Formats: sequence, structure tokens, C-alpha cells
Amino acid sequence: MMLALIVILPLIMAAFLALLFRNNGSIVKYTALAASIASLLLIIYLYLSIGSGPFSPQSFQWFSLGNISFNISIITAPINMFLLLLVGIMTPLIFLYSIGFMNMQSQQARFYFEMSIFAAAMMLLAISASLITMFIAWEMLGVTSYLLIGFWYWKEKPPAAARKAITIILIGDMLMLVGILLIGITYGTFEFSALFSAAPTPALDTALLLILLAAFTKSAQFPFHEWLPDAMEGPAPVSAFLHSSTMVKAGVFLIAVLLPLYISAGLLPVMLIFGLISAILGVSNALAERHIKKILAYSTIEDLGLMFVALGLGSLFGAMLLFFVQTFYKGLLFMGAGSLMRANNEREDIFTNYSSATNKLIFVPIVIGALSMAGIFPLSGVFGKSAIASVAEDTNILAYAVLVLLGLGSSIYIFRWLFIPMSKPFKDEKQIEVNYRITPKTMIAAAIVLAILVIIAPIFYAYPTLLTLGIFSGSSIPLNEMAEVSVIALVGLAIAYRIYRQGHALHVASANRPLYVAFYNSIIVNGLYLYLAKAVASAADAAGYLDLKLDKLTYSASSAMLSVGSALRKLVNGQTNVYVAAFVIGIVLLLALFIW
Amino acid sequence: MAQFIGILLVLLSFGIVATIFSSERMSKTVASAFSLLALVVVAAAFFYMLQTGSVNYTENYSYYITQPSISFGFQFSPISFVLVLMTSIVSFVTLLSGNMENENRKTSSMLILLFELAAIGLFTSGNLFLLFIFWDVGVISLFFMIYLLGSSNRRRAAVKFLIYELFASLALLFAIMLVYFYTPLHSFDIQYIISNAGLISLPVQALIFSSFFIAFLINMPVFPVHLWLPDAHTEASTQGSMLLSGILTKFGGYGMILTFFMMPIAAHLEVPIAILAGFSAIYSVFVLMTQHDIKRIIAYSTIVEMSIILVAIASFNQFGISGAAYGMLAHGLTIAMLFLAAGSIGHMFAERDIRNLRGVVRNALSTSYTFLAGVFATTGVPLTAAFVADALIFMGAIKTFSIYGAIPLAALLLLGAFLYYVVNKSMLSTREYSRNPRFISRSQKAGYAILLSSIFIFGVLPFLLLNFFSNI
Repeated sequence: MMLALIVILPLIMAAFLALLFRNNGSIVKYTALAASIASLLLIIYLYLSIGSGPFSPQSFQWFSLGNISFNISIITAPINMFLLLLVGIMTPLIFLYSIGFMNMQSQQARFYFEMSIFAAAMMLLAISASLITMFIAWEMLGVTSYLLIGFWYWKEKPPAAARKAITIILIGDMLMLVGILLIGITYGTFEFSALFSAAPTPALDTALLLILLAAFTKSAQFPFHEWLPDAMEGPAPVSAFLHSSTMVKAGVFLIAVLLPLYISAGLLPVMLIFGLISAILGVSNALAERHIKKILAYSTIEDLGLMFVALGLGSLFGAMLLFFVQTFYKGLLFMGAGSLMRANNEREDIFTNYSSATNKLIFVPIVIGALSMAGIFPLSGVFGKSAIASVAEDTNILAYAVLVLLGLGSSIYIFRWLFIPMSKPFKDEKQIEVNYRITPKTMIAAAIVLAILVIIAPIFYAYPTLLTLGIFSGSSIPLNEMAEVSVIALVGLAIAYRIYRQGHALHVASANRPLYVAFYNSIIVNGLYLYLAKAVASAADAAGYLDLKLDKLTYSASSAMLSVGSALRKLVNGQTNVYVAAFVIGIVLLLALFIW
Repeated sequence: MAQFIGILLVLLSFGIVATIFSSERMSKTVASAFSLLALVVVAAAFFYMLQTGSVNYTENYSYYITQPSISFGFQFSPISFVLVLMTSIVSFVTLLSGNMENENRKTSSMLILLFELAAIGLFTSGNLFLLFIFWDVGVISLFFMIYLLGSSNRRRAAVKFLIYELFASLALLFAIMLVYFYTPLHSFDIQYIISNAGLISLPVQALIFSSFFIAFLINMPVFPVHLWLPDAHTEASTQGSMLLSGILTKFGGYGMILTFFMMPIAAHLEVPIAILAGFSAIYSVFVLMTQHDIKRIIAYSTIVEMSIILVAIASFNQFGISGAAYGMLAHGLTIAMLFLAAGSIGHMFAERDIRNLRGVVRNALSTSYTFLAGVFATTGVPLTAAFVADALIFMGAIKTFSIYGAIPLAALLLLGAFLYYVVNKSMLSTREYSRNPRFISRSQKAGYAILLSSIFIFGVLPFLLLNFFSNI
């Protein structure tokens, strides 16, 4: 009955095998790869066997109390199958890439264990049909991402990055839990399908707002976005996975599934505004950042912001289309960044990295990814951007203007990212060239497959049922919009070429300070986080002080008792004359009492 | 009708005697064997109950004091059964793996069995008189655990613990006496009191309730009477800490639930009690952040969790009460695991200060990951028992107190954030410091495995226990 759950089974088994054979890295990595391929095959089978609807969820009771039953519910409607397929395609590619990337690393078993659970959690999220099922997957994603970001715990930065991520994710989890329980108490059910037909109440609006905020934390939207650039401390395959199909996409996907509820609750402007702010912050920071992976991380924030903008404009089509194409190009770019860093002895700064064209199999996919990301026709990226732009043009002209600027900015920063490492290195050129030549073939193969996917993804446009099960059919993108996006991207390319390729980079890099901070505002946001943390710490200090005082108070109460005791003890000092005197005084007082 | 409780108590009594008469070397094995037998009996009772589908039953033994009428009666309710299950698991693991120093094996094993006996007796006693006796036996045995087996500064902490607990005990006795004299038939019987306490006049009820409330508040412990707990934990041995946080604090939680059932006046006091408990949760999580000793940190987390459980009890509906019981189960298992891991770290590195511990994972892999799993279980990650508990607790709280009932989640959030900080600072980090690490014994790994698997079993299969709560 719960047939679809079988897709996560191979990965779970691979995770347990990784625990069993934790001392044998080679078994573990091939099992994980085999399991992910098995998952993909199962997903494809499900895909082919899926009917034409109506799609109803299947559920079984996990536990129940009173009249409320906590169900594990899954559904294989087109939108769920769409995400499932994306994750299913990405997982083997990422694992393939990992085999090369991690080949010299220790603790591979732990890596594949965590990655398998991570992928399985995202697959569960893709097919979940109730808030409880979704929350299980949601928290599993958070926990495993914490472990994966901090994978290299023996280095300096990853533990702090992991901590930052889990703290923000925890905020989201708690908000989400409140929202879910509020819905459970109000409606007595956690099923999505029941919620769509439920009568709206103020409690539902509150819960939806809380869930939206939780989605913002997961999908790295303002003001919760700064964990994502720090998460780059994890291994490159983790970044590629996290940014393309898992984790950060969970928030967008959840809101997309619940979009009808948000439309009736009137929360779309919130998404639009926060999405725009996030996209602007993402672009501006990406323009100023120098860390090769953090630039891509900020660009992910921008992409996710754009998806929320699309959702905020009520366009599921635009959001899902960008969701679809972004998966491939972002995965590809991160794989490329990983290869670059590996060849450059783990240097992180784009100004000290050197991307050689020696190994064209590495270089060409990166260029394809960058062109696609900028939005140059006919690579897949342009479809997502123009779909959103066309919706914005029809409904909200202000948002459209911002989107045009963002398109220009994102084109500039991605070509900046591409061009700066292309200049000749200052030293150890030979070594880097050799490193490029000996890049593991699995890493190259995974990137090439993704590059091909980036190129051929637009066929969904011709055959809407292929890959996307027709969730995009019925909507179309005007050709002039695609032309506009491409032209903007080309303008950005020209500007970036002029500034960064022709050696004007130094002038821009040494730009004056206020402008730099205005762009690189992550300093401010991180300062804000730090300020909050300090506020909590000083509250903690105050409470700790109070606790000590309270302890002192109980001690002074007990010493007060003691002093009463020692005062009384003086009366019992064993001197007969005092006793006799007391006796006589007592008798006199007694007599006085009687007489009076 | 099987006589599970009688068998359990007799078995444990024999165990105590056998431990006393066994040699120092064998005592731990003997005591563990008896504790394991007790666990088997509880498991048998569990299967029996799964088959009959109901957990409610009573056992009466023909031992009567007629004037005042005190029967030797026991009962299983869903709440008490859950707690007995937790007690038997935690006690067994404590005996099996808590004593890594291998010091005072005989004394500690004997005291742990005595405490297990007291705890099982308390959770199942059918009348308040027995409950009081078992309460004091439990407190005294733990007092000796700390007083005889703790670290250097133990005596002061033990006496502090004893004073607080004796005060609680006196308040409890006072309440019990009042209940006895003011119920129409002069009875100690809990079921009778639950159905007849409404006849007591309101001022007397208020007095009884506040007396019970103070007693259980001290034991839980909740602000402002929580101060005995951190000190007791810092000084107690690993075994003492496991029992203190794992089981002893549940005396208070169980008593508090009973009080809410017994005294109808409690329904009027839900909001102030919830405010106190919510404040206590948030206050103690802030105090927790200023601590450096890893055992003290975990000790304060107990206060946070028990305060949240008090919020659930105060919400006093089906979700809240079931959530509180399940939360005590989850918390007992989790905190025992955390204390076992913390004790192991203290033993291995002769250091418990998180400012000095670095890269524990290099020397103590299983301990570090067990601690991490304990942090997951504390923050209520799904598939651990705490998730079920948290979901029920906050459903109950939101039901009674509307959205304000969710405020204590902020405490859980801060607790989680700080515990992750501890993990990243001390365990999963670079190694700068470690002093003569020792190896970890097999029995201790078994202890981790038992507690971890219990946490996951009750997290993945919550329906096993929660079905019993359907008509609370």
C-alpha cells in the first residue's frame, strides 16, 4: 500500500551497511552508489507506472491519541514525483562525484552514512502528504545537514559553521512544530488534503505564517540566510547536494505544495517582499565575495529568493520551473568549484585560484553551467528566469524592474566568478596543471552528465510530460521574455569581461569601503546574529547571577536558623545559678499572672 | 491475574539480600542479574498488557492494618506502567555500566537495587501511605549514594539534597495526613481519593494541594526550589547522577500528575502553575548557558525538561498528561544516556570542563556519538521518543493555553542550541588537549546500546505504549 516508500529503502540499507563496514571505505562507497542507482530505477519505475489521477494520498496510522491520529501519509502526485525524480537523478551523480572527491579522505563510511540518510530524508519529504511525515523528513534533513556541514570537524571553521546552521535550522524546526501542532489541535488532522478543504480560521493563518518562517530558515531567506554561505565549510559534494536538490529546496517545495492555502490566507506579499530582499542580498554579496564557493552560495540565496518571488506572485509555474533548472546548473557549478579547489590545493579565494583550460572536460562543463546560470538562450537557466520575469511583468511592475537589475547583477557575478580564476597563477603553475590532469574521472563524469542535463533540460518545453509529468503544461513563456533575459545576461557578460577579464579587477577590488560594505552586507547581518547571541549570553549571565544569589539566600536562611540555635544554646549553659534564677523568675511571673 | 508487581518487589528484595551476601567482586554481577530479571518481568507484564489491551489493574495482598485502614495494594495505570518500564531499563543500565571506576561495587549495587525497589514501589503503590514509605526509601538510598560514593565535596551536596528532600517529604506527609482526615471514609487509597476528594471543602483542598505541590515541586525540581539538583549532580558518581535525574525527578512528576487527578481544585490553578513552569524552563536554560561543567549542564537540562513536563501536566488534558508521561520516559532514558556519556568523559580525561575538553571524538568515538544522539533526543528529533513526547506535550499546552502554551519551546530551542555548541566545542572539534585517555569497557558500550535502542524503539513505535493512554 505504501509502495512509494520503497524508493528510500536502498539508501537506508546503504546507510546501515556503511555502519557495518565502517572500516572498509571502498565497499561503502560502491554500496552507496549502487543504492542510489537502485533508488533512481525504482523512481523511474514509479514514474512510468503513474496513472493520470486523481491522486489520493495513502496513509497508515503511526499512533493516535484521543481523536487525533498521527499518520504517515505519502502521495505520488505529479509535483511530488517531479521533486522525487530530481533528487533521484542528483543522488547517484553526487555519489559518483564523491567517490572521486573523497578518495583520499578519512572517515568515508561516516560520509556515505550521512549522505544516504540525507538523500532518503529529501525523498521522503518529496512524497510526504501530511505535516507529520513532512516534519520527520524536515528534521532529518536538518540533523544530517548539521553533521555533513561539520564533517571535517578537525578543521577550524566547520564546527562553527555547523553550529550556526543548526541553530538557525532549530529556530525553524520549533516554529514549524508550533505551526503543525496548532493545525492539529484546530482541525484534528495533519493531512494536506484535509487542509485544502478545511474552513479557514485565524489559527490556520498563524500556523501558515509560522510554517512560512520555518521555510525561510530552511531555504535561507532573509533574515535567516547567513547560515548558507557558512555551510560551504562542508565537503564540495555536500554543497552540491545541499544547494541543488536537497535541504534548501525543502522550504520552497513545502510552500509550493501548500500554495492554495497561502493564497487564501493572503500571505503572498510576505513571500514576495522577503524573496525580493533575499535575492537582492544574494546578488550584492555575491558581487563582493571572494570565496569561490560562497559566491555560489549567495547565488543560491538569490535563486531561492526568486522562487519565493514567483510563489509570492502566485505563479507555481515560474517557481517550479526555476526549481527544476536550478537543480542542474547549481549542482554543476558546485562540482566545478570543488574540482577547482581540489586542483588548487584547497585554496578558497577566487583571486588565488586558477582555473586551467588544460583539462577541457573540467573547464567546459563549468562554462556551460555559468552560461546557463546567467540565463543565456538556449541553455536551461533562461527558462526559469524568463518565466518568473514574464509573470512579474504582468502583475507587479516594480518587482519586474528589480528582477531585471538582479538578472544583470547575477550575470556579472557569475562571470566574475568564471573570469578571475582564468588569469595566470603567480606560482606553482606546473603543479596546478598536473592536479587538473589527475582529477579523478568520477568527478569529471558526474559534472559532464550534469552539463548534458543542463543542455537538454529544455526538452521538457517541447514534451511537457517528459521529466516533469506535465506540471508545466498549459503555461508558456513568451519568446520576447527569453530574448530579454538573454540580452541582459549578455550585457552582464560584456561588463564582467571588461572589468574582470581585461584586468580591471584590481580597481574594483580596491573600491572604497562604504560601497564595499553596502554590497558585502553579510558583515552587517552576521554582526546582527552575533549581537543576538550576545544578548542571549548576557541574559544567561544575569540568570546565572540570580541563581547564585538564590543559592546564597538559601544558605543565609540556613545560617539564620543556626544563629537562632546558637542564641538559644546560650540559655542551656550548665550553670546552676542561671537555671535557678530562671526558675525563680518563672515562678514570680506565673504567680503574677495568677494574681492578676 | 498475574501478580507482576508482587513478583517484582520480592525479586528485588531477594536481589538486595543476595548482593549483601555476595563478594565485592561478584556483587555487581549479582545485582545486574537481578535487575535484568526485573526488566524481564516488566517486559513480560508489557506483553501481557499488549495482549489484554489494557494496562489498568490492581494487586492486593492480605496485609491490612485495620485502624487506620492501610492495605498493601498496588496498581498499574498507564502512567505508572510507563515509569516502571523506564525505571527498570535505567536501573539495569546504571548497574551494568555506570560504575566505570569499579569502586565500592557492593555498596553501590545494593543501593541501586534498593532504589529500584523504591521507585517501582512508588510508581505502582495503590495508596498514599505506601507511596510515602517508598518515597523516603528512595530518597534515603540516593542520599547514601551521594554521601558515600560521590566525589570530594560530596558530603555538603548530599546533606543539601537530604534537607531539600526531607522538606519535600514533610510537606508530602502533611498533605497525606490532611487527605486522610478530610476524606469521608478516612482512606489512603488513591482511587478512592480521586473519586471523593471533591467532597473536601475548598480551603482545605487548597491547603492539601499546595502542600502536595510544594513537595513535588522540590522533587521535580522546578524554580525556585531547584538548587539541590545541580550540586547533587556535580558531586554524585555517574551512577548517582543517572538515578537522580533519570528516576528520582520522576517521583515528583508522577506525584504531580496524581495531585492533579486527586485535587479538583487544581483545575483553577492551571494558568499560574503553567506560568511558573514556563518561567522555570526559560530561566534554567539561561542558567545552563553559564555553566562549564558538563555534568552541571546536563543537570540544568533536567530542570528545563521537567519544567516543560510541568507545563504539560498543568495543561491537564489527555494530550498533556500522556505527553508528560511519555516525556518522563523519554527524558529518563535520554538523561541517563547523557550522564553515562558525561561520566565516561570525566573518567577518561579526568576533566569535565567544556572549556578544556577538545576533540573528545578522537579518543572516545562511541561516547561522543552517543552524546550527540542524546542531544538529538533532547531536542526532539523525530524517531526519538522525545519527539512523540514533545508533540503531545505542546499539543496539550496549546489546547489549554492557546498559542501561549508553545512559549516553553523557546527554552527547548535555546537548550538545543547550547548543547550543539557543547558538542562542537568539546567533542567534534580539533584535538588540543586530552590527558591519558583510558579505554571504554564493553559493558559501558552495552549500556549505550540499550539506552539508544530504547530511545529509538519508543520513538519509532510509540503506539505500543500510547494505545494504553486512549482513555485517560
